[in-house]
Amino acid sequence: MRPVRIALASSGVAGAFLVAPEPALAHGLSGRADLPIPPWLFAWAAAVVLVVSFVGLAVLWRSPKLEEQDGFRLLPRGLSRAIVNPVTELLAAALGVALLASTIWSGLAGVQSVRDNFAPTFVYVVFWVGLVPLSIVFGDVFRALNPWRALGRGVGSLARRATGWTPPFAYPSWLGRWPAAAGLFAFAWLELAYSGGDDPSVLAVAALVYTGITLAAMACFGTEDWISRGEAFSVYFNLFSRISPLAVRDGRLGVRRPLSGFSTLEPLPGTVAVLVVMIGNVMFDGASEGSPWVDVAPDLQQALVDLGLGVSSALEVALTLGLLLTLGIVTGIYAVGVAGVRALDRRSTVSVARSFVHTLVPIAAVYVLAHYFSLLVYDGQAIASLSSDPLGKGWNLFGTAGSTIDYAIVGATTIWYVQVGVLVVGHMCGLALCHDRALRLYGDARAAATSQYWMLAVMVAFTTTGLFLLSQANQ
Amino acid sequence: MVVEETSGVRGRSARASGRTALVTRIALAAAALAAAVGLFLVLSGGGDGEPQPAVAEAASAAATATPRRQASMPSPRPAPMVERIVVRNGKPVGGPARLRFGRGERVAFTIRSDVADEVHVHGFDLSKPVPANGSVAFAFTADLEGVFEIELEHARLEIAELRITP
Repeated sequence: MRPVRIALASSGVAGAFLVAPEPALAHGLSGRADLPIPPWLFAWAAAVVLVVSFVGLAVLWRSPKLEEQDGFRLLPRGLSRAIVNPVTELLAAALGVALLASTIWSGLAGVQSVRDNFAPTFVYVVFWVGLVPLSIVFGDVFRALNPWRALGRGVGSLARRATGWTPPFAYPSWLGRWPAAAGLFAFAWLELAYSGGDDPSVLAVAALVYTGITLAAMACFGTEDWISRGEAFSVYFNLFSRISPLAVRDGRLGVRRPLSGFSTLEPLPGTVAVLVVMIGNVMFDGASEGSPWVDVAPDLQQALVDLGLGVSSALEVALTLGLLLTLGIVTGIYAVGVAGVRALDRRSTVSVARSFVHTLVPIAAVYVLAHYFSLLVYDGQAIASLSSDPLGKGWNLFGTAGSTIDYAIVGATTIWYVQVGVLVVGHMCGLALCHDRALRLYGDARAAATSQYWMLAVMVAFTTTGLFLLSQANQ
Repeated sequence: MVVEETSGVRGRSARASGRTALVTRIALAAAALAAAVGLFLVLSGGGDGEPQPAVAEAASAAATATPRRQASMPSPRPAPMVERIVVRNGKPVGGPARLRFGRGERVAFTIRSDVADEVHVHGFDLSKPVPANGSVAFAFTADLEGVFEIELEHARLEIAELRITP
């Protein structure tokens, strides 16, 4: 996370002039970064990706396996009731609200240190990264934990009873998931481009502002309408949860085929933008750790300083440009795939793009897992001590304040294999979803395969880019 | 369910079976090609196929990219030598140094500083005070892997990175 400032400060001539204006966060939150994957592993992984792709084409199935029947089976009533019931629902909502409140309180009242304050590690590691694997495995857990949904339902029901309040507006259909895309971009910008993005107080204020916006939007459009389409984190984690074999339907917990959750994803406006931001922000975070970004960033920053910007804002502008450029690249790659499909599918570019957008979710998921695996495994451990001393004032609420990070828990080689392994698995999932959707849309295996060549190129591009970034990081 | 029904490309599944064999053959040929390409990449890019080239390449890339202190560029297998990091005017001379070690090797370095601070080796979580115009020595075994920050704790300034490869 955000290694750029130190990279700039340390890269040669520019470093002499452009000293980061504040403490730099070189290596994650805890001062450790991953080694780049070695060239031999990169080569093997790239070869495996190509082989997997072509074998994938060879073992095509003939009728949709995910789209039309998802194989949903209810779990035993007792088990379902033990997990999904009003009490657990209330507890999860209370936990979510308590964690949001703790984050805001720590950020405002605690020491302003990225490592000694609860807020940065909780927001960037536990929440932003940790909920991704949880959603992939256990389904939409964030829906239960979502503090904004809980507040919206609570306040909404009180307001209804007290004043007969009902949301005055219907959620406009053209708005779709655009608010979520904007929210995710704002979060990515805060994390990757804004110079104060790690400051506990900045995170607290951002959380307060976001809470205000979300409550206002829920009051206007209704809690569920806003949560399911406009609220950035609900949309984000819900997309990942569609990979999961677990789902709740009509209040009952059941299992379905993994990935089949995408068959019910509504292709609303803004969904492509959400995925572009999801992939682009991780891609830029990875790219900013190595070549070519580290080579050009100091020159870009210097050019902006020459234009009259301060050192700090020049860096922010440079990083913002880098982030936007990355989003453009992601859009461009996907546009090539969509253009290829349109040779066969005569619908508009937008319709085709929305028809296949869910195939990018596994790519986004494995980007997160590959890039942040070590952050989760190492920095995630810090939450034990931070929970006991959230303000960094020497408390020991749960007796875990003295707990430290065990860096021996996994070695560099394990991290490499996890990174490469998940990228390849995500690639396969993306191909499977493409093929299945193509079968559903075009009816027969041949047409499906023809349309798929282009999306295959898209998947190969994303996967090899991911591998390349891992091989360039922290060189 | 909201997947749009599309302009008709339906209804050709009768011809599917004969084609599958063709698709399979093409795919197998392509897979073999891909494997060959991969093997070529491995052989050409990876040298002797050992993980070592990663270190060597990274070192040479860093050497060309930035004018770093010569001392921080180890010879292929450094004899026990003590790295020196000099902090002048509160900043590392020549930018943050890069210390490279293999896992299990003995890490040893000294820091000479003209400002008083505390030197913190992250990951290993070793901290030692350094007095103004004084120096402090570290020596420990490289038993963790990764890139670790060495920081002047109070100034919150990275003075070196410790890179330990498997």
